[in-house]
Amino acid sequence: MKMRVLLPLLFAAAGALLPGLVGSTLLMTLLTQAVINAMLATGVGFMVRQNGMVSFGHAGFFGLAAYIVALCTTNHVVTAEFAVLLAVALPMLLAFLLGLAILRIAGVAFSMLTLAVAQSFYELMLRWRELANGDDGMAAELPPRLFGAGIAVFQTPESMFLVCWAALMVVLAGLWLLSRSHFGTLTIAIRENEERARFIGYETLLPRALVYALSAGIAALAGVMFALYNAFVTPDVLYWSLSGEALVMAVIGGTKAIWGPALGAVIFFLFKDVAGDLTEHWPAIIGGTLIVVTVLLPRGASGSLLALVERLGVRR
Amino acid sequence: MLIQILNGFVYGGLLYILAVGLVLIFGLRRVVNFAHGGLFMLGAYIGYTIASIAGFWVGLVASVTVLAVLGVVMDRVVFRPLQDEDPIVTMLVTFGILLVLEDLVRTIWGKDFLTLKPPAGLDGIIMLSGSSFPVYRLAVIALAVLVAGGLSLWLRSSRVGLHVRAASVDPVTTAMQGVDTERLGATVVAIGAALAGLSGTIAAPLLALSPSMGSFILIDSFVVVVTGGLTSFTGAFVAALLIGQLHNLGVVFVPAAASVIPLVLMVLVLLWRPDGLAKKRS
Amino acid sequence: MSEIVLEGTGLTRQYGGFRALDDVSIMVRRGEIRGLIGPNGAGKSTLIDVLSGRGAFSRGTVKLEGRDISGLNARQRRLAGLARSFQRTNIFGDLTVGEQVHLAARAAEAENAGEVMEALALAPLADRRAADVSYGDQRRLDLALALVGRPRVLLLDEPAAGLTMQESLTLAALLRDLAQRWQVTVLIVEHDMDVIFAICSSLTVLHLGRILVEGPPEQVRVMPEVVTAYLGSSVA
Ligand SMILES: Nc1ncnc2c1ncn2[C@@H]1O[C@H](COP(=O)(O)OP(=O)(O)OP(=O)(O)O)[C@@H](O)[C@H]1O
Ligand SMILES: [Mg+2]
Repeated sequence: MKMRVLLPLLFAAAGALLPGLVGSTLLMTLLTQAVINAMLATGVGFMVRQNGMVSFGHAGFFGLAAYIVALCTTNHVVTAEFAVLLAVALPMLLAFLLGLAILRIAGVAFSMLTLAVAQSFYELMLRWRELANGDDGMAAELPPRLFGAGIAVFQTPESMFLVCWAALMVVLAGLWLLSRSHFGTLTIAIRENEERARFIGYETLLPRALVYALSAGIAALAGVMFALYNAFVTPDVLYWSLSGEALVMAVIGGTKAIWGPALGAVIFFLFKDVAGDLTEHWPAIIGGTLIVVTVLLPRGASGSLLALVERLGVRR
Repeated sequence: MLIQILNGFVYGGLLYILAVGLVLIFGLRRVVNFAHGGLFMLGAYIGYTIASIAGFWVGLVASVTVLAVLGVVMDRVVFRPLQDEDPIVTMLVTFGILLVLEDLVRTIWGKDFLTLKPPAGLDGIIMLSGSSFPVYRLAVIALAVLVAGGLSLWLRSSRVGLHVRAASVDPVTTAMQGVDTERLGATVVAIGAALAGLSGTIAAPLLALSPSMGSFILIDSFVVVVTGGLTSFTGAFVAALLIGQLHNLGVVFVPAAASVIPLVLMVLVLLWRPDGLAKKRS
Repeated sequence: MSEIVLEGTGLTRQYGGFRALDDVSIMVRRGEIRGLIGPNGAGKSTLIDVLSGRGAFSRGTVKLEGRDISGLNARQRRLAGLARSFQRTNIFGDLTVGEQVHLAARAAEAENAGEVMEALALAPLADRRAADVSYGDQRRLDLALALVGRPRVLLLDEPAAGLTMQESLTLAALLRDLAQRWQVTVLIVEHDMDVIFAICSSLTVLHLGRILVEGPPEQVRVMPEVVTAYLGSSVA
């Protein structure tokens, strides 16, 4: 039990030391991107873990959040702080309402629809040029200070890595606590056997919609970090290949452990770096990896890791 | 206005031919074939290439044939080995295939838009209540109606069709009744893929060919399939026509939001009838 | 005569053109353990389904303690005090035994969970994944999920199916004991006549979707129409 708390804490602290240890800015840039994507993948994976449903459209929430930050700050409609809150809250609300409508249908249909919804955001931003400058993307005019910190904090790889790392650790810890709560047990029960959950007296739509909202909120948080870091968004942040990538990360990492998708994201980025010259064929590589990992390693890296730990007789 | 409505039917017809393939495959294998958009696109490109060498009709036949063969291969290599797995697994694999196909097409044919001319004889224009309308588009509508009619005739009157309908309602019982669902599966996936090739090729003179053309229409056909009720052929037909119209009117009147309109329709239908337009017998 | 807690009137369910349940009326009194028997396909599970609000629309009214619950869904009926178990084991495979029993107990009846797990010999398995325990354990778990919320009426669909004779009799004794202690009214479907005679105060015999006879077990057992129904079904 102690190990269960101590080990993650040590890990979180070790991660925070990275910027001091890694000399190369290039590598820090890569790591920061990896952590932002790890957040997105965590959202996708949480949905699979708690709801047993696969979302092919989390880029929709990620990109929506990024656009909300960019649009709000550039048009000065609200303060940047409020824009950040809005960018997380609106996608959550949207997912919740959408969930109430589409979570009632079969899992496969849900997957199809998540894809459709995300793609409609993409086309909206692509076509509505007056709003978001279409294909060329738009810059976010961020204020000089945000949440009391200089904006440079969010745009320098070393410091932004720390911000993102801390956010990721907090989200993972929160999800871990949630998974051990009554709500966590209930949602797993619904995932396992929706009918019996009703027969023991539980409403089953609302909890699933809440999980969907939460998972969308995590993706949105990743989108906010992306927008702050790059201060520039294009419709690509809404495109389905990003949803696909997030899903691949979650699958590579395995969704049984809450931290699995995040691990998958890191592996994914290292792999992408190694693939280097081949990145021209990146979609095919993602597709191929997805096929191979789903079929051969259904429990993903985290599953294999846990199995290994168990075999070595280390008590968790 | 008449022209707009006809254009809606053209798009609806294309959607129907594509979506009904998804319905067929879903009915039998209980999986959503995300690769279907890739098959559509591949069909369009194969049709394009052969049509530019040997003429439109040869291209059409070639594309449908190649895709049918590809369908059999997919059934053997993907759907059958994975049929005992969680449907999520198959879904992810077909999604992977879609990504690979897009990349393959991009590598072979390049990223640039390609266009194909309508076949001779159908490349004219006729006057309809004072406006001109391409004959080819009328032919596409006719073809969609033909496919719908042919399919429903086949499903209703042939033995295989009966088995397909039975399997769509209850695959397990149908298999227990001694129907060879393995052979049936290959047939159905082949037909589904061939229809994707068909719609891809006939779409080639209408839409510009690009490696992402498959994903765009795939999404609309998903909306059609879900709105229609997943396993219902009639539901898919009605939903395709509705969404074809809405999509087209959207493109004309609110271009920026055109892609959102079919979704809104779908959400409304699902709130009204959670099992889609064609209410399923549970 | 004690009061009637569960009352079904004119219950009918149709599958296509086939009436699985045809105008069945049933009354169960408080504290009673009523057996529901009949040959395979008689409509026993269908009756349990209709009473508990499972599946498609059906005709007829269901009253629980005088209140019409026909319009309520399965969840609302459970909250009103009507719980059920399932013929085909219907549990949460990926949760531990303890987790799901506590979940089913709901916050208000939390103390109840430990007691039920003790009584059904599930306590030693509390930390095991439900999918990993034996079939017999899963059957008792299914029962525990229905029992733990302290329902006033319990509908049990063949709780002893697939258990050994010894296990069945232990289960029967346990059921009678718990029903008495917690004052639960029970309607139990069971093929095992030893179980039925051990615990039931009266029997309802269902045949081809209709009620054939009702009465005390000793009488029902020797009624010619019951014997014929059973024989007929095993010959045909
Ligand atoms: N979903 C369904 N669709 C069609 N027919 C059904 C359905 N469920 C049950 N039936 C039919 O209704 C009849 C009654 O079934 P039911 O399960 O109630 O019988 P039972 O008395 O519980 O039998 P058993 O002792 O085998 O459990 C059977 O003939 C069965 O085939
Ligand atoms: Mg039964």
